[in-house]
Amino acid sequence: MATVENGTEQFDLGWMRRTGPWNTRAPRGKHGLTLADVAVGAYGEAPDESDNQTGRPRGAVARPGSYRIGGYAVRSKSEIWLDNASFLYEEALQRQWSSATDVPWHTIEPLPDDVEQAECQLATFLTEVEFVAGDVPARWVSLTTPDFLEPRQVLLAQVMDEARHMDVFRKRALANGGGLMQATGATSGFVGGIDLSRDFTEMSSRLHVSGEGAVLTLFRMGELMAQNEAEKVIYRLCAQDEARHVAFGIMHLRYMASAAPERREEIHCYLDEAEAGIIGAANPVGQLTPTSESMAIILGGGKANFDDGMNKVIAIRRRQLGEYKKRVISAGFGERFENGRSGVDRMIDHAA
Amino acid sequence: MARADAPKTGGKADGAAQEQAEAPRKYEPKYNWMNKSRQWGVRVPPGKAGLKLGDLNVGVYGEIPGHWTDETRNPRGAVARRGMPPVGYAVRDKAGLWADSAADLYEEAIQRRWAPATDVPWNTIEPLPDDVEHAVCQVCTELIGYANVDIEAITGWQHRMSYGYHEVKQFLATAGFDAARHFECFRKRALVNGGGLGLEGPGRVNRLILESRGGWTEAVVYLLLLRGVFTMTLYKHLERHAHNDAERFIYGHALTDKARHVTYGLEHLKFAIAHVDDQRQIVATLFAFGDGGLARDLADPVLKEALAVIFGGSVRGAVKKGLAGYGDFMRDFLGTLLAMCRYIDVPRDPARLPAALKEFAPVGDVAA
Repeated sequence: MATVENGTEQFDLGWMRRTGPWNTRAPRGKHGLTLADVAVGAYGEAPDESDNQTGRPRGAVARPGSYRIGGYAVRSKSEIWLDNASFLYEEALQRQWSSATDVPWHTIEPLPDDVEQAECQLATFLTEVEFVAGDVPARWVSLTTPDFLEPRQVLLAQVMDEARHMDVFRKRALANGGGLMQATGATSGFVGGIDLSRDFTEMSSRLHVSGEGAVLTLFRMGELMAQNEAEKVIYRLCAQDEARHVAFGIMHLRYMASAAPERREEIHCYLDEAEAGIIGAANPVGQLTPTSESMAIILGGGKANFDDGMNKVIAIRRRQLGEYKKRVISAGFGERFENGRSGVDRMIDHAA
Repeated sequence: MARADAPKTGGKADGAAQEQAEAPRKYEPKYNWMNKSRQWGVRVPPGKAGLKLGDLNVGVYGEIPGHWTDETRNPRGAVARRGMPPVGYAVRDKAGLWADSAADLYEEAIQRRWAPATDVPWNTIEPLPDDVEHAVCQVCTELIGYANVDIEAITGWQHRMSYGYHEVKQFLATAGFDAARHFECFRKRALVNGGGLGLEGPGRVNRLILESRGGWTEAVVYLLLLRGVFTMTLYKHLERHAHNDAERFIYGHALTDKARHVTYGLEHLKFAIAHVDDQRQIVATLFAFGDGGLARDLADPVLKEALAVIFGGSVRGAVKKGLAGYGDFMRDFLGTLLAMCRYIDVPRDPARLPAALKEFAPVGDVAA
């Protein structure tokens, strides 16, 4: 490439010779130009260990004089990778929705006071837990090298999804003659909590697999729980988002299990902790928490039908545990259910 | 608020309730959560644009104090549970993050969402002359770097902000997602048309943004005003010089997104300056540091040359028409930035800008 001059200006144009692999022509597929489509050649190769400390786009040419600004805590591929991240990210983009305009708010009608109180208690709780699900992935994004761009993109989509969930449950609490009720505090900074995880996989096993997995089971019961079309739509759309987040956790655990088998025992320890809290206060159908009582009122149709409602709560709790078990097996850690390490089968037997 | 044990007033389960009242109870609920609300009877109706986040700010739910003492995740307006360990939020003063427009910007971001995979007309991209493709790919590489800093800075602060000001956190969730889309979209553009990624940027302003230790307001000065207005102006001029509908779409939509970020930044700085002693002088000092960082980045010829090739249509056109286009871009950027500084009551004297910026500053734009 020639240097060109124009009086006082001299163009070096040396940058034209400093490129990543050239002549790249990512093919467009049936679904447009996806993130997976541009993972071509060297541009698609995420390193096992990233030495990128400048925030350089993967595949770009390093500049020797660039400042080291990264300080990334997540630099090993096995710590965060999953094979279908591009797919989950593109799906998240396609399935974005608006709580302002996509929920038929006009279908909400006044409810009996006990049911409205129960709805508002549940909405208060869900607002609170969605805070965690937004805050924590955001923090990990800021700690992850851009060489692992695909999982980072999914986590950014999750932060957006959770913002919308927090907002839609606040809206529900304030739309129908009720109000916010008492926070549970279950999302505070407890040791063993999602917040305090010191490792991404530890966080993901608590947040994506056990925490959001439990909430996903609940949202899928939306047809049973909803009092009107607006609530049905809310649960349906939230379940769709939540399913992606759970899929992230499972697929990441699966990758971790194969790429870093030396960490299996450590992951089992995280799962031990997750299981210990799985039907606790942070679960809306946990054991006799304010939220499980409110769920019983919602599912029973009022305080007068509390027993009937609580039987349904217990059925959902069993279903949550069963689905959790299937997910952990799918992630490649099923031996814990065979060797007696997991207490989930006992929990299912004694779910009441 | 009705008493929790008040007779039911109707509803789908009335008949069943009658029967159940006679049956022995299997469970013994405490109902100690019932009737615990700071304000009951709230009914916010959807408006013409649906049910928006800002609409919910009624009664106690709209009371936004200057300092948020609660360090848990208690939603604003809910009854707090006492004795809960703190989460440890660093930003708990309203002046440290607030902008009145945050809730509206959040809803606008959701309404204006787009998907690069399917909304960009990628089929309109045709092969370009090699020098132009090099220039487009180099600029895309820089823009990916900018988006990366947006992502890392926003997510690095977001989780440190108190939920008393959830509107801002909500807005920042959209801004982080916008940045993810820009990161993705410019990567796609660089890899779709026979080119590739180029040389990473010099990174002085990146460092200023990511090393903002003095609080979110400091990060806003560097990220959303200095870098934000620079990037926004760049998108505007790249849209004018787009080679096809795909590029036009990308730059146009990225510009719309970035305008929201800058709007939040402006409103926040105006609020912070109005409510914090010395903030005006602090912001002025930060801009002086920022100017130096930007001048240092721009002393590197790579971005300037690549833009000149795009604005001039070729390497040959770069030396005259291209440099003139670069000058137009820089004058537009500095004119916009200095006007915004006046808006937030931090007027800047162009004579005190570093030489690399001063040559493009609007004549007659002087400090008050």
